[in-house]
Amino acid sequence: MDSASDAPIKSLRPADREPNIAAGLQQVSATEARLSSVTLKDSSSRDGEDRVPSNGSLPADFYDAGEEIEAEDEEAPPSVAAAPEGSFEGDIAWRDGQGMDGEAPPSPSSSGYAGERGSSGDSSGIVEESDGSGGVSQVDWDKGKQRLHENMQDDASVSWRKRKKHFIILSHSGKPIYSRYGDEHKLAGFAATLQAIISFVENGRDRLKCVRAGKHQVVFLVKGPIYLVCICCTEEPYESLREQLELLYGQMLLILTKSIDRCFEKNPKFDMTPLLGGTEAVFSSLIHSFGWNPATFLHAYTCLPLAYSTRQAAGAILQDVADSGVLFAILMCKHKVISLVGAQKATLHPDDMLLLANFILSSESFRTSESFSPICLPRYNPMAFLYAYVQYLDVDTYLTLLSTNSDAFYHLKDCRIRIESVLVKSNVLNEVQRSIMEGGMHVEDLPVDSSLRSGSASNHLGMGRSEPVLVPQSGSGGPAGLWHFIYRSINLDQYVSSEFSSPLNNFSQHKRLYRAYQRLYASMHDQQTGPHKTQYKRDEDYVLFCWITQDFELYAAFDPLADKAQAIKTCNRVCQWVRDLENEIFLFGGSPFSW
Amino acid sequence: MGCASSFPGKNVGRSGSLNGEQTVANDPKNIRVKLVLLGDSGVGKSCIVLRFVRGQFDPTSKVTVGASFLSQTIALQDSTTVKFEIWDTAGQERYAALAPLYYRGAAVAVVVYDITSPDSFLKAQYWVKELQKHGSPDIVMALVGNKADLHENRKVSAQDAMEYAEKNGMFFIETSAKTADNINQLFEGTGIYLYRNKTQLSWITCNNRPKCRSCICCYEVP
Repeated sequence: MDSASDAPIKSLRPADREPNIAAGLQQVSATEARLSSVTLKDSSSRDGEDRVPSNGSLPADFYDAGEEIEAEDEEAPPSVAAAPEGSFEGDIAWRDGQGMDGEAPPSPSSSGYAGERGSSGDSSGIVEESDGSGGVSQVDWDKGKQRLHENMQDDASVSWRKRKKHFIILSHSGKPIYSRYGDEHKLAGFAATLQAIISFVENGRDRLKCVRAGKHQVVFLVKGPIYLVCICCTEEPYESLREQLELLYGQMLLILTKSIDRCFEKNPKFDMTPLLGGTEAVFSSLIHSFGWNPATFLHAYTCLPLAYSTRQAAGAILQDVADSGVLFAILMCKHKVISLVGAQKATLHPDDMLLLANFILSSESFRTSESFSPICLPRYNPMAFLYAYVQYLDVDTYLTLLSTNSDAFYHLKDCRIRIESVLVKSNVLNEVQRSIMEGGMHVEDLPVDSSLRSGSASNHLGMGRSEPVLVPQSGSGGPAGLWHFIYRSINLDQYVSSEFSSPLNNFSQHKRLYRAYQRLYASMHDQQTGPHKTQYKRDEDYVLFCWITQDFELYAAFDPLADKAQAIKTCNRVCQWVRDLENEIFLFGGSPFSW
Repeated sequence: MGCASSFPGKNVGRSGSLNGEQTVANDPKNIRVKLVLLGDSGVGKSCIVLRFVRGQFDPTSKVTVGASFLSQTIALQDSTTVKFEIWDTAGQERYAALAPLYYRGAAVAVVVYDITSPDSFLKAQYWVKELQKHGSPDIVMALVGNKADLHENRKVSAQDAMEYAEKNGMFFIETSAKTADNINQLFEGTGIYLYRNKTQLSWITCNNRPKCRSCICCYEVP
C-alpha cells in the first residue's frame, strides 16, 4: 500500500514481514482495543434516539465480551449479496481484557495513533502536534492518548463521540471523504487510523470485516480505493450494517460513478471531498432511511396503493414514452412507486430505485424547477452516467425520465409535457392525492374471516373500515394483537407494509420495530445456518413472526402477549388479504422486467 | 411551469448541444434567447434566476443539482417579446466537466460571482476563459457581482470587476437577488441588447470579440 509509506504508519508493520496472519490480527486487535478505548468507550452517551438498556457505567460483561476480528478470506469476492463464504474461519477471540486499558504488550502497532499524526501533518485539520519521533513507544502512545482525549474534549468532539452510529468514508490513502458527524477534515487523524488498520490486514492478504468492542461494532467495507466504515452501538447485525455500507457506496456511485477509481490510480492522494460538495443532505437522508425505510434491508420497493385502472393509465403513457427512446420512466410519490417502465431489456434494481429516490427527495433544488442532471445507477451500470430529467408534478409526485443521451433534454421535456397532460386528464394525480390521504393497509381492517373475502366490500382498500366492530380487538392494533406487518413479494421485488397504528405511535417505536425486522431478516437469511422458513420469537417488546416461502416473505409483529396459534392464523389471513388486494398494492408490469 | 414546447422545430442548432434550436429565434418580434448562468457554488445563481422568473427570494440555500431549466418572457417597449430559456447550472466542481452541455449554443452567458468572495471572482475568471476557449464565438457574456446588499463585507471592488469585464468585452453589473436590485435590469438589458444588435445584425456576425467593445458598451440599461 503506497499510502502506508508515510513514516509513522510504517511502524505498524511487524519487523519481520512474515505473513503471520494470526499474529497480525492480534496486533490489530491490540490496536483496535486501544482505538476502542479511546474513541468508543463512551457508553454513557445518550441522544435519546435509541433505547439503551444499560446505565452510564460499563456493563459487567464488557470485558468478558472481548474483541473479535472476523477475517474474510482474500479469495472471497466482495459480492453485494451477503455471502461471507469461509468468513468466520479466521476468527480470533481476543480475550485479554487488559488491552482495553491500553496496557497490552508493547507492539509496533501502537502507531494506530501514529497514523493520526502522520496524516495530520498534511491535512492540518488536527491540532495534534507530531513529536517527530519515528518509532512510537508505549509512553508516546499513552501520552498520545491523553492528548487525544484533551483534543476530543472540545464541544464538537464530545458530541461526536456521543453519537450512536457513525458512517465514515475514506480513501485508501487515509483521506477522509465523508463523515456522518463532524467535519471530515477534522477527522483526518481518525480516518488515518482506520486506514492503517484496514491496510494492515489487507497487506496480510486478508480482509477485515468487523471488530467488536463491547457493545460497539466497527464494520468495514473495502471498495477498491474507497474504504467505508460504520461504527455503532445499535446492536444491528453485521450483515445489515454491511449492506448499509454497500448502499452508502452505491449512493456515492450514483453521484460520481465508479470511474472515480481512476482518479486514485492517477493520484493515490487524490482528495475526493470537493467532488461531493453539497451532497451531505443526500448521504444523511440515506443514513436516516436505514432507520425507517424497510426497502433498505428488504431490497424491494413499495407502491402507492391505487386502483388497478389508475395505475394502468399511468403505466400506459409511461410505456409510450419508453418506446420513444427513454431508458426508464419512473413516476413516484415520495418513496412509493406509482408506475415505472423501462425500455426493452432494461432492468431497474430496487436498490437503484431506492438510491435514486433518496437522491431526488433529498435535493431540494429538484422541487423548484425542472432539472436535467447526470446520475449513475450503480446496479445498472456503475461506470456510466445516465441523464435524468426530473420534474415535480405536484408537491409529492415527481416524474423521472432517464436517458443515455446527454442531449435528450428537450425530448424528455416534451415527453414530460405529454405524460403530465395524460395524467391530469385521466385524473391520476388526484387519485394519488386521495391515496396519500387514505393511507395503505391498516391492520384494523384485516378481514375477520377469509371466507367472507370474495365479493365482499373489503376487497378494496379502505372499504372495510366501516366494520371494525366485527374485529375482535385484543388491546390495540388489529385482530389477535397484530400490530404491524410487511409482506414482500419475491417475484415482484416489491413489498407492502401496513400503516403504523397504536401502540406504535412515534418514530422511535417505528425505528425499533424496523430494527427488529432487520434482525429477523438477517437471521432468516443467514448464510451459515441456512435460509429458514419460519421463525416465531417473543421478547418483551413484541411477538415477531416470519414466514418465508418461494413466493413471499411475511414479517409480522404482535402484542407480546399474543397467542401463538391465533397469531399464526392471523398471518395466514394477512397473506390472503394481501393476495386479494394485490392489484391495488403491487405494480404488475406488462413491461419487460426481468429482475 | 407552463413552458411552451421547445422541441426542435425547423431549425436544429449545433448538434451535440442542449439547445436543439437556434439561440435567437428568427421572428424579429419574438426573440428567444438561450441563457446560461455559470459561477462558483453559493454565489446566488439560482437566487438571481428565481428572483427574475418568480419574483421570489429564498434565503435557505438549496444546492442545485446538475442544472435547472426555467423560462421567462419579458416584453420590451415596442411590444417585442424576449423569451429567456435559462440554464441555471450547479456550481459544484463535479459538474464543471459537464458545463459545455449547458453553455454550448447559448446566446448569453451570465458569469456570476459573490462580491464578498475573492475566490468566487477567480472562479468567474476561470469561466470567462473557458467560454472564450470553448463557447460559441458570438456568445454575449455578462459579468455579475451578486450579493450587492452585503457591501459592508465587500472583498471584490466594483472597479476591479468593471476593468476585468471591459478587458474581456463583457457587460458588467452588480445585483442583489435578496433586494431585487438590478435583477430585472440585468435581463432586460440583455434582452434589449440582443434585440438592438439583432436588428442591426451586429453582434451575431461580429468577429472582433473580445475587442469589439462597441457591441457591449454602447448599450445602456433603460
